Amino acid sequence: MKKVLGILCILIMTAGVLFAGAEAEGAAKMKVGMVTDAGTIDDKSFNQGTWEGVLWAADDFNLDTKYLKPGGTTEADYLKEIGNLYDAGYKLMVTPGFKFETTIFKAQDRYKDAKFVLLDGYPHAGDWAPVVGDNTVSIFFAEQESGFLAGLAAALQLKSGALGFVGGMEIPAVQKFNWGYQQGIKYANENYGTSITMNPDNFIYQGTFDDVAAGQQIAASMYDRGVKAVFAAAGGVGVGVINEAKSRAATGKSVWVIGVDVNQYADGIYSGDKSIILTSAMKKIDQSTYDMIKAELDGNFPGGEILTFDASNNGIGIPAENPNLDADVEAKVAEAFAEMQSGELVVADIQGDLIK
Amino acid sequence: MKIKSNALAMALSAVLLGLIAGAVLMAAIGSNPFLGYTYLFRGGLMSIERVGNTFATAITLTLTGLSVAFAFKTGLFNIGASGQMLMGGLFATIVALTVSVPRPLLLLFTILAGFAGGAVWGAVPGYLKAKFNVHEVVATIMMNWIAYWIIYYVVPAYFKGAYLETESRIIPAAASLKTPWLDSLFRGSYINIGIFVAIAAVIVIQIILKKTTLGYELKAVGYNRDAAEYAGIRVNRNVILSMVIAGGLAGLAGTTFYTGYASNIQIGVLPNQGFDGIAVALLGATEPWGVFASALFFGLLHSGKGFMNAMTDIPPEISDTIIATIIYFTATSVLLGRMWTFLGRLRRRRKDESDKEVQK
Repeated sequence: MKKVLGILCILIMTAGVLFAGAEAEGAAKMKVGMVTDAGTIDDKSFNQGTWEGVLWAADDFNLDTKYLKPGGTTEADYLKEIGNLYDAGYKLMVTPGFKFETTIFKAQDRYKDAKFVLLDGYPHAGDWAPVVGDNTVSIFFAEQESGFLAGLAAALQLKSGALGFVGGMEIPAVQKFNWGYQQGIKYANENYGTSITMNPDNFIYQGTFDDVAAGQQIAASMYDRGVKAVFAAAGGVGVGVINEAKSRAATGKSVWVIGVDVNQYADGIYSGDKSIILTSAMKKIDQSTYDMIKAELDGNFPGGEILTFDASNNGIGIPAENPNLDADVEAKVAEAFAEMQSGELVVADIQGDLIK
Repeated sequence: MKIKSNALAMALSAVLLGLIAGAVLMAAIGSNPFLGYTYLFRGGLMSIERVGNTFATAITLTLTGLSVAFAFKTGLFNIGASGQMLMGGLFATIVALTVSVPRPLLLLFTILAGFAGGAVWGAVPGYLKAKFNVHEVVATIMMNWIAYWIIYYVVPAYFKGAYLETESRIIPAAASLKTPWLDSLFRGSYINIGIFVAIAAVIVIQIILKKTTLGYELKAVGYNRDAAEYAGIRVNRNVILSMVIAGGLAGLAGTTFYTGYASNIQIGVLPNQGFDGIAVALLGATEPWGVFASALFFGLLHSGKGFMNAMTDIPPEISDTIIATIIYFTATSVLLGRMWTFLGRLRRRRKDESDKEVQK
């Protein structure tokens, strides 16, 4: 009798476990993971933009989301976190930044049934020969177009005087911002009669993405030389530029900063709702992340492709609202944007005879 | 023998205390500590690859831990393991990128260069301490930053990767401490022949400390400088030598880290492993095998952390805090040791008193 009862108990328990398992399986949400690059999740730039895209998709499609922060910045550290996400059931992973290139090259082979979205880079073995696996999509942005629009807007708004640029590391994504920016200023000078000057001394790559103090120093010397606005495409270095401009604006001086990657207007507020951010050269990182997650849900993940987000698919641009720009400036920028979309206006993504 | 078992009890109770402190923190943010620890340990051990990664993390920590422990034996506090690691890594990288000889020789040269780089960086504070009595804590911390900025200048100027402004060229396979057979044995983990370097270093340091005149002299200087000098031991020479060897060990840590675990050296990073080495050394009771054991424990924590994050709702920032809490509490093992002896003495005294009363 006892034996029978015992067996019955075991059967019921097993069934319970099995059914519970089945239930969980049925209600399983898609799991989307992210591994952060160097820096924090609230870096006002790449990590944050990517994560906001993930959260946005999670809101719309009811997803499980998770980000992991690697212990260091080596390929081993990145790959470990990808392994952790994979083992925890996250089969779609988003990784921001070119530093993930060799990591994803290995991960796409090791985890065949997982999918990877690599922003601002393409997988390679360390030799820069792209090998985009069927389970990976690589995304680039037309930074030059975004920089062009911001340069055009700044030139039209300020009409005369000098403009400057502070870059982080001299890597393609930052260089393209710079080259586009200069072309935008030239375009304004040639077509709208502005007289903005560009002095090579005012176009500087600081060399890091995190040296806030150096950014502040560089900005201070530029503003002292009479530069009216500085375009900072430099992560944490840009924070230093914004700080310097804010402290000058607070004492009544007129200085401007052009933001990067996301709409940085709120970061530049120094009193009330007045901000030193003239406009921002945006890359819609969140949008692209969202689009890729949606594509995976719809079953048409563009695996194996290298995609470019530019004006034609609304992947770049300046913010919809720019309180520091006049309406006619915004209208002219919108005109240039439309010309980019139609292909009438082409912005070069190479240096040519531009500064640096 | 009694001292040894005491040290072990001390270390284990410190680990327990650390884990409890971590559990309290997990509970405080509303997570289940048992689940958290299950995933933490599974993350470090549940597959052969993960075991390999735990070892890989422990390699560097063993060597920096040994570095701190060795200097400690001579009464010196080496806070400069990070800088020594960087210089060792730089020297090793330079050899790995520029010398072309057959692989076994190249690896030997790389490892020796790494040792030399760290040794030079340890020698300077040692010399300053011996000749001018400059406190080694101050000197080694400053040397950390000198190393940091030297790397910052030298790597981009002479060894820059093709598109990587902030990293050196990638170490070629022939010069890397990674080997295919360890790779396939541990299913593509980041373990490398640094593990043998680390174990060899543990054995060599054990022998130096226990079996040689040099070790005896070094320890004598550590116990009492004046007495050692009175006994005819050359204190200054021993202080410098101790820092040279300690620096060399940290240099080896840099070698295994930059040419084994990582595939190149990066600028703008002062490696944490140098500071973790202090905790490793303290938990290991500054004994070579103790250091190895505690490095394995810390390696487990570091490599299991990510999986804990992935499986629970603990955010990465909090899990860093949890790991730091565990490390912090385990590093108080010295205090715990004092408590143990105090409790022992108390019990003995009580026993003596009660014995007396019985006699009355």
